[in-house]
Amino acid sequence: MKNIIIILTALFLTSCEKTVTLSYKANQSKIIIEGNVTDQPGPYLVKITKSIPLSDTTSYPTIDNATVTISDDAGHAETLTPQGNGQYRTTSLIGTEGRTYTLTVKAENQTYTAQSTMPQRTPFDSIKIEQVTFIGKEIEYNIIPIYKDPIAKGNYYRFVLSVNDKLINQHFIQNDDVRNGVTNTTRLEYNDDDDDKKLKAKDRISIQMQCIDPKAGQYYTTLALIADSGPGGGTTPNNPPNNISNGALGLFSAHTEETKTTTLP
Amino acid sequence: MTSTKFIKQLIFCTLITPLLSKAQNFTISGTVKESSSGETLTGVTVSVVERPRAGVTTNDYGFYSITLPKGTYTLRFSYVGRKQELVPIQLESNLTLNTKLTDEKEASMTEVVVSAKKDNDNLTKASMGTEVLNMKTASKIPVVFGEKDLVKTLQLMPGVKSNGEGANGFSVRGGATDQNLILLDEAPVYNASHLLGFFSTFNSDAIKDATIIKGNSPAQFGGRLSSVLDVHMKEGNNKEYQTSGGIGLISSRLTVEGPIQKEKSSFIISGRRTYADLFARLSSDLKNVKLYFYDLNAKANLYINKKNKLYFSGYFGQDVLSVNKLFGSKWGNSTATLRWNSIISSKLFSNTSLIYSNYDFNVGFQSDGVETNYNSHIKDLNLKQDFSYYLNSSNTIRFGFNVIHHTITPTKAEGTGIISTKKSQKGLENAIYASNSWKPSDNLNIDYGLRFSFYNVPDSNKTYYNLEPRITANFRLSNTESIKLGYARNTQNLHLMSNSTGGSPTDQWIGNSFKIKPEIADQVSLGYSKNFNNDALELNTEVYYKTMQNQIDYKDGADINTVPNIESELLFGKGRAYGWEILLKKKKGRLTGWIGYTLSKTERKIDGINNNQWYNAKQDRTHDLSIVAIYNLTPRWTLSGTFIYSTGNAVTFPTGKYILNNQTIYQYNNRNADRMAPTHRLDFSATYERPARGRFQSSWSFGLYNVYGRQNPFSITFKENKNNPKQIDAVQTSLFQWIPSVTYNFKF
Repeated sequence: MKNIIIILTALFLTSCEKTVTLSYKANQSKIIIEGNVTDQPGPYLVKITKSIPLSDTTSYPTIDNATVTISDDAGHAETLTPQGNGQYRTTSLIGTEGRTYTLTVKAENQTYTAQSTMPQRTPFDSIKIEQVTFIGKEIEYNIIPIYKDPIAKGNYYRFVLSVNDKLINQHFIQNDDVRNGVTNTTRLEYNDDDDDKKLKAKDRISIQMQCIDPKAGQYYTTLALIADSGPGGGTTPNNPPNNISNGALGLFSAHTEETKTTTLP
Repeated sequence: MTSTKFIKQLIFCTLITPLLSKAQNFTISGTVKESSSGETLTGVTVSVVERPRAGVTTNDYGFYSITLPKGTYTLRFSYVGRKQELVPIQLESNLTLNTKLTDEKEASMTEVVVSAKKDNDNLTKASMGTEVLNMKTASKIPVVFGEKDLVKTLQLMPGVKSNGEGANGFSVRGGATDQNLILLDEAPVYNASHLLGFFSTFNSDAIKDATIIKGNSPAQFGGRLSSVLDVHMKEGNNKEYQTSGGIGLISSRLTVEGPIQKEKSSFIISGRRTYADLFARLSSDLKNVKLYFYDLNAKANLYINKKNKLYFSGYFGQDVLSVNKLFGSKWGNSTATLRWNSIISSKLFSNTSLIYSNYDFNVGFQSDGVETNYNSHIKDLNLKQDFSYYLNSSNTIRFGFNVIHHTITPTKAEGTGIISTKKSQKGLENAIYASNSWKPSDNLNIDYGLRFSFYNVPDSNKTYYNLEPRITANFRLSNTESIKLGYARNTQNLHLMSNSTGGSPTDQWIGNSFKIKPEIADQVSLGYSKNFNNDALELNTEVYYKTMQNQIDYKDGADINTVPNIESELLFGKGRAYGWEILLKKKKGRLTGWIGYTLSKTERKIDGINNNQWYNAKQDRTHDLSIVAIYNLTPRWTLSGTFIYSTGNAVTFPTGKYILNNQTIYQYNNRNADRMAPTHRLDFSATYERPARGRFQSSWSFGLYNVYGRQNPFSITFKENKNNPKQIDAVQTSLFQWIPSVTYNFKF
């Protein structure tokens, strides 16, 4: 879709962008819970913050006096240690594939709970770079994470992309809805509409692949869909459906992690 | 109640009133044609000078029939832009009277372009929320790239709203884009836009006229909630061969028409293709880009005998878009209609239609040497039988049935390594109907009817039944004033799954299923019309209130193109829409045109969205204004201008932000609680008609779209500021500032 608009614009010469001032509706500050348990050695972190109005440039308020516990379905449970700055840390928990983890947060007289099951790891084999010329002579790079999806259906993969050690604020999510049980050939839908995001030769590409559970998959799919359209476009934006109870925003995710790095030719 | 029993009752009810009046009468019937081309004329008013109550209009095939007691009468034939014809008759037996009307322009220079079949049709007919558009009107109105466009012109009418800059999708009285039944010679067109909606599939050279009915459609139409856009293709000149065409900035058109049997039957073939990409490919940057669309319309009619005529019409159009071998996409409609007109008796007219229509979409990507294709299609086979029975001078009865067999394939993935489990759905959409156009007195007209529709889903062995009553009444207060009242129920069995506002080729249709129920709309409307200055000025105003049931939306985060089972992603709810429309037309003089304004509200309430509270639908527009002016400067020069203003689309802006895993994420509050900036624009065009050289006529049109270069919002995206990532910028994209155009048209 985006491609089509680009071509149309190129053909019919006309389209322009400008920054506009909008009047935003009042924002209701909500509690944000970020929790991750991975298959890597701990400690694992839970972070509790609050949202701020869109136009604010202040820092995000943190909650440092919450009670945070994580338990698994193998009988382990622990209360996390506050670290300040909204962070809480595990001491003994060992993230294991196939286990279901339950997070409980007691903060500001409310209790929030969340559950996530760590999927079995799908090994991340390598990063493949494809060079194509789409429009004009400019070389574009397709970044294709290579992994073999298992036969069982319902797998979700999240990719965290960094270019020259800078985290890219875009959401890359793949699943096996369309192709199941095969080696992946789909590129990451990297948006380089802004010139400063264009990839160049010798750029260092680093990708962390996460095998995430379906609920986390839906969360990031929603974010990716919203980012692709925006108001006036297609999908009406909304707070992505998450796995935390009681109206808190954010996500608790138990997932595997594996990172690969390459340099663009 | 069994359906046969029901049909009997239905027909009985419709016939009982008319049959009460009896007389010993004779019938005059015939066909009305245009004298220069021999094309039949639809909607010609046939009235009897001596009997103001008697009067009918010609049907889609130019046929009319009036029954009167024995006597001497004068028949008056009147039609927009044509010289009125008065024919004296001596009625002693049944009579056939075929008439030809000549173009008024040959008689006088005052050109009537704003359509009305007769000067005061708005006062005398029961039809409500109906606008008729002839292509003559559309041809003078400025449009982007100078590509005259039926749908773009319709969007200038009150109650019909464009879905955004450039968009060809339209919303009628708060309805969604898919709630418009778009018919091309009776065949449904499932995606009426080209190039993502910048152009409609209707090549104006091949179109005779179009009628839009905003919810109060007669019983013979059904299947969509909001409106019927009934487009008729030209039949072709049955007297002489004629070639016409045009060369524009982005496309060219060519039409050939002529007689098959002189004065009896004719054909027309019309084609259009865009060529922007041919020029673009000259530049090396766009060498590998293909982007074009084309349309081909063909129609022929065959005269069998005085009472029987066959018509064939076909349409084929396609969009092609590809870049190298990396990306390719094709989509298009094809339709074919075979019709058999039969004048069974001077009072009974029959039309049988066999209709095929198809919409295909295909997009393919290549990545890492592996191909992936997504495609969807919908195919219909459709049988329609319609009878018009001209009972007497105050009752015209219509009845018939319609059976449509749908084959629907929602978006399906194919390619290397893909095992697709999606299957085509079948659906059988049926309807029987009867209606009567009744004139109980000189100043009262009532059209009433009933449509009984039933949709069968063979896969789940489920049938949905719906009764759809329709009534409109017109009461004439005086010679210059009338009030109107209408109620209609419409149902819809096909639903468009779309993740765009303006209509996109990726939109896919699905039919009713066990879980998806027919959408139902009930609309009540009230209207008032007044004519001034001897019918030169016409004021029409209507208010409407509409409720909608079984409306469909998606769950948050649903990717409707890849999800294996789309039904699991749907949410259901209801809608309501109300508004006030006003249209002031100036139909005579050197300056013609209209001012249309709509004040309206459209809301939805869907279980699972916006905490189950009412929210503004995307297409909700508070204000919508259009002004159209056409001025005959000299006999050769015509100037025209349009101005539009509309409230921005209802959208959802973020209200807050937070950080999750080092990424900034936006927080949202109520759905569609914000507005894009209003859209307004002035367009201008000038047409010069060159003096004819023998048979050769030609004209030049010059246009300027968006005269004052307003940057109307197309979309808004939110981005972190490059210098200060803590600051979020709203970036607005606009299309089309100052687009000049020039078009050359010819005819010989």
